[in-house]
Amino acid sequence: MTPDQLQPSSFDLYPPLARSFAVEHLTLLRQLPLTICPSFLAQISDLDTRFPIERKTLAWQCDSLAALPQAKRDALLAPLRAIAMAPELEKLDWVNSPAAFVERLSAHLWSTGQINGFHDASRELFAAIPDQPNEATRLALIVVGQGADTSRASILSKLARKGIRLNGVNPATAQQQLLEAFAKHAAKGQEAYAHWYVDGGQPWVLPESVRASAIQVSYPQLSPLRKRVLERMQSILNTNQANAEKMRSDLAAIAPTELRSGQVASDPILQRFYTELFTSGSGTQIFSTSFVQWAGRELARRAQPHTVLLRYTPRQRHRGFNEMVSDPESKVLDPEGSLVDAEMDAYYNWIEMGRIAAPGKLTVLAWVEGSSKAVMVSPKTKPNTISNQAVTIEQALASFAVV
Amino acid sequence: MKYDASFQAVSASRRAFLRGAVGMVSATSFSSSLALTGSAIRPADKTIVVTFGGGARDEETFAEEGQANIPNLLHTLLPQGTFFTQVRNAGILGHYVATASIVTGVYERFNNFIAQPPPNPTLFEYFRRELRRPETDAWVIAPSNGFQKIGSSSARGFGPQFGAGVILPKRLLSAASRNTPNLFDNDQLQHFLQDNYEMPSYDISATAQDNEMHLDTLESTLRLSVQDFVQHARTLDSADELSIFIARRLMDQQAPSLMMLTLHDMDVAHSGAFSLYIDAIQRADRLCAELWKAVQSHPEYKDRTTVYIMPDFGRDADDDPAGNGFQHHRTGSAMARTTWLLALGPHVRQNTVVDRAIESIDLVPTIGCHLGFSTNSPGRCIEELR
Repeated sequence: MTPDQLQPSSFDLYPPLARSFAVEHLTLLRQLPLTICPSFLAQISDLDTRFPIERKTLAWQCDSLAALPQAKRDALLAPLRAIAMAPELEKLDWVNSPAAFVERLSAHLWSTGQINGFHDASRELFAAIPDQPNEATRLALIVVGQGADTSRASILSKLARKGIRLNGVNPATAQQQLLEAFAKHAAKGQEAYAHWYVDGGQPWVLPESVRASAIQVSYPQLSPLRKRVLERMQSILNTNQANAEKMRSDLAAIAPTELRSGQVASDPILQRFYTELFTSGSGTQIFSTSFVQWAGRELARRAQPHTVLLRYTPRQRHRGFNEMVSDPESKVLDPEGSLVDAEMDAYYNWIEMGRIAAPGKLTVLAWVEGSSKAVMVSPKTKPNTISNQAVTIEQALASFAVV
Repeated sequence: MKYDASFQAVSASRRAFLRGAVGMVSATSFSSSLALTGSAIRPADKTIVVTFGGGARDEETFAEEGQANIPNLLHTLLPQGTFFTQVRNAGILGHYVATASIVTGVYERFNNFIAQPPPNPTLFEYFRRELRRPETDAWVIAPSNGFQKIGSSSARGFGPQFGAGVILPKRLLSAASRNTPNLFDNDQLQHFLQDNYEMPSYDISATAQDNEMHLDTLESTLRLSVQDFVQHARTLDSADELSIFIARRLMDQQAPSLMMLTLHDMDVAHSGAFSLYIDAIQRADRLCAELWKAVQSHPEYKDRTTVYIMPDFGRDADDDPAGNGFQHHRTGSAMARTTWLLALGPHVRQNTVVDRAIESIDLVPTIGCHLGFSTNSPGRCIEELR
């Protein structure tokens, strides 16, 4: 079957929202080559349990591509259509198992040396889609360093090069003021899934005013899911055929129901999101630092939050991989290594939020927990500057945050 | 290729970083007249190839912010060698298939996760067959399961009879733990026995095609008892240190003319822990210096050995939305495909930086044209290292 043969009945096995979306965009889907159509279907088929903004974004992309002049669309799709496909790929059930098809396609593109051409053509295609209206003001608050020696002057250096280093933060009020800043920013918009607090350890208590509108999740809270994924990894390891590709594809195929994700969230959208943090992330199953960074990345990519608070706490000390899978409950922590991890992760969180923020609309504040050190990056900060002035978090945000 | 501009940017950055880092390095672009470098010096007749399995990016190595991680490469080794700033890997960015591509000089296309002999002849087979070298003269020390078939190819006219012996130190230690459980009375050595996040332990059936050294030949090959092997392993911190220990033991006992080892600790980056990735880079930096020091103080190797150090590829760029920064090498972008090569040896010009692009598959024909054997690689002999 090829995309031009798609019919409304092709999507009979899709969930309701996905089926409706696919049928609505059938004209476009029929025009897409087999190299890219299943990628769209992989997103469409999961639409019932995707964030509302993801549905909106996918609709925007499809509508924009459909609205292109035929000649331009044909020209953009031509390099994707020219990619040589293996006959066995064309025989796969790419309509009902699009994600599995995409994985096989990826291997084919690498092994035939066509991966760069595919990436180039995909980039060109998506570059033709105009940006969505995006007026949201976004605030990312990041906390690192719990339990570590934070005396280094170079702490958070990568992020600090992008903004101002604050060396006189009042540590006594910082936690409370960060939480208040989170609540205040979250109060500006009541959109669903727009405000998130992710903690790598025992979480702080959010202000009462924001508990209903913000989503709070922590590594310990998701421990039941994580342990079930680790059990699945252990069973894959026990087969003695656990190469990395098999591990990744087996984990990616796990459905939220298989992990009994209803135990940690009643919302099917959250069930899927939390499940995929462990089934699609690398290291999230064993390191809380990797979990927080990946959660921040996936939130930015998928939920496009307006407000995030990401708190990194010490991860377990590194051991052999198999040992960490079979015995995940180590009490021996590595606060110093975790701080180094979190410094890089905070930088990545800034990059990731920057991808979704409109120009001039993002403020990032990273505080080194328990210390007088913080870094702020916003349109009002100058790159690579330092302030040794005594300041509270509240004052720093008042001076530099975008409102 | 649309990536050309990106590749050049990576190279230019690395060169600029080096200018700032080591003022003594002469940033010379070679012309083709290099005869003077080789003619006055007896050609090296021993070769050691060190690859980093799991690339290390500029940011964590030769860029300004990364230089603290590689003091030995930067300040001790680089001034003694020729540094190529732009090595492209146009193949599959998976560790086994990329390493196989390096040792065959051909971009191999097989499944990275299925252990199999490369279809094209390996460096070791070209070397042994054409120069009529004995089987003890070529060795590979590799970190992971799956690498046991890298010593020889399935190519017609080649094969295990011309291949390299393969030592997988972690598998040796694992076998020792089964054979002599009394030596493993606690978990002290368990961290050696596990493979990393991207290449977890899995069982590969041995075949007659394998040239892997097993525990029963440890003593005859390395003059090392199982007990001494285990005892020494207890003093080490990582699998890469174990590989260097084995390499030095091989140098002492077999003095092979051709040896390749892969340092793989840094691929812990796949777990997302930046600190562990940095630790591994710092360890690899130290181990490379130790190896070079061992070469220069060893009567069989001193002043007659060429050492090539080259990561198999890079890692994804921080700002590439298709990746997750240092963690993986899945995007195929210029940053992930570009790496570097440092060559040291008596025929290698010192204190020199070369900017022109070379490819990772050039290494095999380069070693061939230097040592005097032919290869079927589509790569080119690197004139500066001939």
